Amino acid sequence: MQKSRRFFSALNKRELLLPALFLAPAIAVLLALSIYPLIYSITISLQQGTAAGVTWGLGNFTRLLSDNFFLTALAHTFVYAVSALTCEFLLGLGLALLLNKQIRGRGVFRASLLIPMMLPAVVVGVIWRLMLNPNFGAINETLKRLGINTASLTWTASPKLAMLSVIAVDVWQWTPFVFLVLLAGLQAIPPEPYEAALIDGSSRWQTFWHVTLPLLKPSILIVLLLRTMDLLRVFDQIFILTEGGPGFATETISLYIYRTAFRFFDFGYAAAMSFVLLALTNVISAIYIKFLHAKETI
Amino acid sequence: MRVTFYLVLAFLIVLTSCTGNHQKQLTLAVVSGVEGEALKQAASDYEKQTGIHIDIAEFPYTNLFEKELIDLKAHTGAYDLIMLDDPWFPRFAHEQVLTELTPLLKKRGQSGPDSDFVATSLALCRHPYQTGSLYALPYVGNSQLFFYRKDLFEKYLMKAPLTWDDVLAAAKTIQEKETAGAKGGQVYGYVERAAQGNAAVADFMPIFWAFGAEMFDANGKPTVNSPQGIAALEFMIELGKYSPPGYVSFNADDVGAHLLQGTAAMSINWPAWISSFSDQSKSKVIGKMEFTTLPDGQKSGQAEIGNWLIAIPRESRNAEAAVDFLLWAASAEQMKRSALRGNPPTRKSLFQDPELVAKFPAYPAQLRSLESSRPRPRTPYWNEIENAFGIFLSKANSGDLTPEEAMNQANAEIEKILQRAQ
Repeated sequence: MQKSRRFFSALNKRELLLPALFLAPAIAVLLALSIYPLIYSITISLQQGTAAGVTWGLGNFTRLLSDNFFLTALAHTFVYAVSALTCEFLLGLGLALLLNKQIRGRGVFRASLLIPMMLPAVVVGVIWRLMLNPNFGAINETLKRLGINTASLTWTASPKLAMLSVIAVDVWQWTPFVFLVLLAGLQAIPPEPYEAALIDGSSRWQTFWHVTLPLLKPSILIVLLLRTMDLLRVFDQIFILTEGGPGFATETISLYIYRTAFRFFDFGYAAAMSFVLLALTNVISAIYIKFLHAKETI
Repeated sequence: MRVTFYLVLAFLIVLTSCTGNHQKQLTLAVVSGVEGEALKQAASDYEKQTGIHIDIAEFPYTNLFEKELIDLKAHTGAYDLIMLDDPWFPRFAHEQVLTELTPLLKKRGQSGPDSDFVATSLALCRHPYQTGSLYALPYVGNSQLFFYRKDLFEKYLMKAPLTWDDVLAAAKTIQEKETAGAKGGQVYGYVERAAQGNAAVADFMPIFWAFGAEMFDANGKPTVNSPQGIAALEFMIELGKYSPPGYVSFNADDVGAHLLQGTAAMSINWPAWISSFSDQSKSKVIGKMEFTTLPDGQKSGQAEIGNWLIAIPRESRNAEAAVDFLLWAASAEQMKRSALRGNPPTRKSLFQDPELVAKFPAYPAQLRSLESSRPRPRTPYWNEIENAFGIFLSKANSGDLTPEEAMNQANAEIEKILQRAQ
């Protein structure tokens, strides 16, 4: 007892001082750039500016419930995230399983599949905006040559096709990421469980369902978490592709938050929406972790 | 020893750099693009003449509003002069972050801004509109024009379009006859832009006003769903039938591209596009475009005005020096140099200047358009109202809503925005 106390007091004086000194800049930066803005945004989300002055309360949060624009944007965000995630996951998993085998030209396939992921979202937005242009774009031009009537295929300008278009662009860009992570996961699986399954006479489907998938769970969890977070806060591609239009057809929460803060200059309301988005993201992440982070059992 | 030496040296450098520039210096927030370019050039000329150093902070159009308003509301005094797009002005004036100019002008022996400024441009710089105190000077005098293909109108023996009915009839004729054109090319009768937000609203307002509709009544209540308003929207959709597919998501660039490629015959557009029609590398319609004032409806046609203003923030520490520069930059002599770079002036004398008219043949039409133009409804909440209105205009054009539903919903949404502000 005596000894340890002396040990701590020595630590306190000398050996704790130096680490504390080294940590101080990092803590200062964290306080200035993360903690302070966080607290500040909480306070402004509780403030509403009126002609009479600033009032405190939950006004910004109750306003969310009667704001049709917000509720529609929320619905769009979910439609967008769920559809894009499903397509990306299924395609990515399929590609990973395919290219995990020894096929000819595997290296070329793998490398070329990664190209979309390397492009900045803004560039992707511009490229697709040009390609999807109903009058001068490459897509309609190709379809026309194939003899398809493109008169009604106005893509980003059509209220029916606009959401599909922005989802397709995200799938194009981010399937490679899903593929890459799942492929790494597949390659980390040792051969023994497969050999055991083979000896037990399991079918290919049974092997996939009972061996591959459970062992792939950690990678699946990572991929779903990262993609969900990204999809829920999507901004740049949609901003470039449609700016949320036509009308309101592809407006997501992030776009609406941006508009509210920087065009309408209502930072309090924008902060309130950001917190709602943050809470939803956390809830969804927690659900994933609960279901997928189970103990690994075969 | 050496460390101390460097520390002292660094200290001295910091000290001298702080004091050296401190006496005469102005900071200017400008928009990137041709409008800001002219002011930057003026600033560098001014610096050579007077020795006053001018710092330039340049921002793209989409960020300029937020950068300026954040800074002005934080009272940092970072800028001595700011460029403002006129629809933003009511917000800045409402927040009381601008310097009133008249006292500063009086000190210089002027009772007010000189009478050469176009009245509609100068009216934008007052708060309240037209009658209130002066908080800015107009620098670039844009207002919408009506663009049409002279050659096609002559080909089908049509007279220049004076009313919206003329426009619709001409659009019909051109589209029907040019579809099976000689080269197999298609020319759309008209090109609208109905992307939600600014695009749809800017394209719609001249029709809306010509049909006799108003956004607000005398008590400030929104009235976009009046019978005239709904009729105007119905007309916009009718005209959309002669616009290229996908016009519901068009912005200014798409409209410009169709006109330059010769695939559309008419549109409302801004003067900045005029010069590109005689540019060989861009235009397939050299010498075929005509520019005129906006068509009439029940009421005579009025363009939407879109001027760049220059104001002095209230927190500027160099307001005296700033107003000297402002008066110099907005003088006839300096504004002419800006005009030669392609910015429409805000002074009558320059619209009539022989050298300028020779270079910009549309100036007489531009002056007529500017003098009869209207501002967007003057409210501090314009950005929010324009966004909501634009969404419903776009939805009506895409067929999501009927014109009546769209206008009713837009009216309700605008009312909500105004109520919240109270």
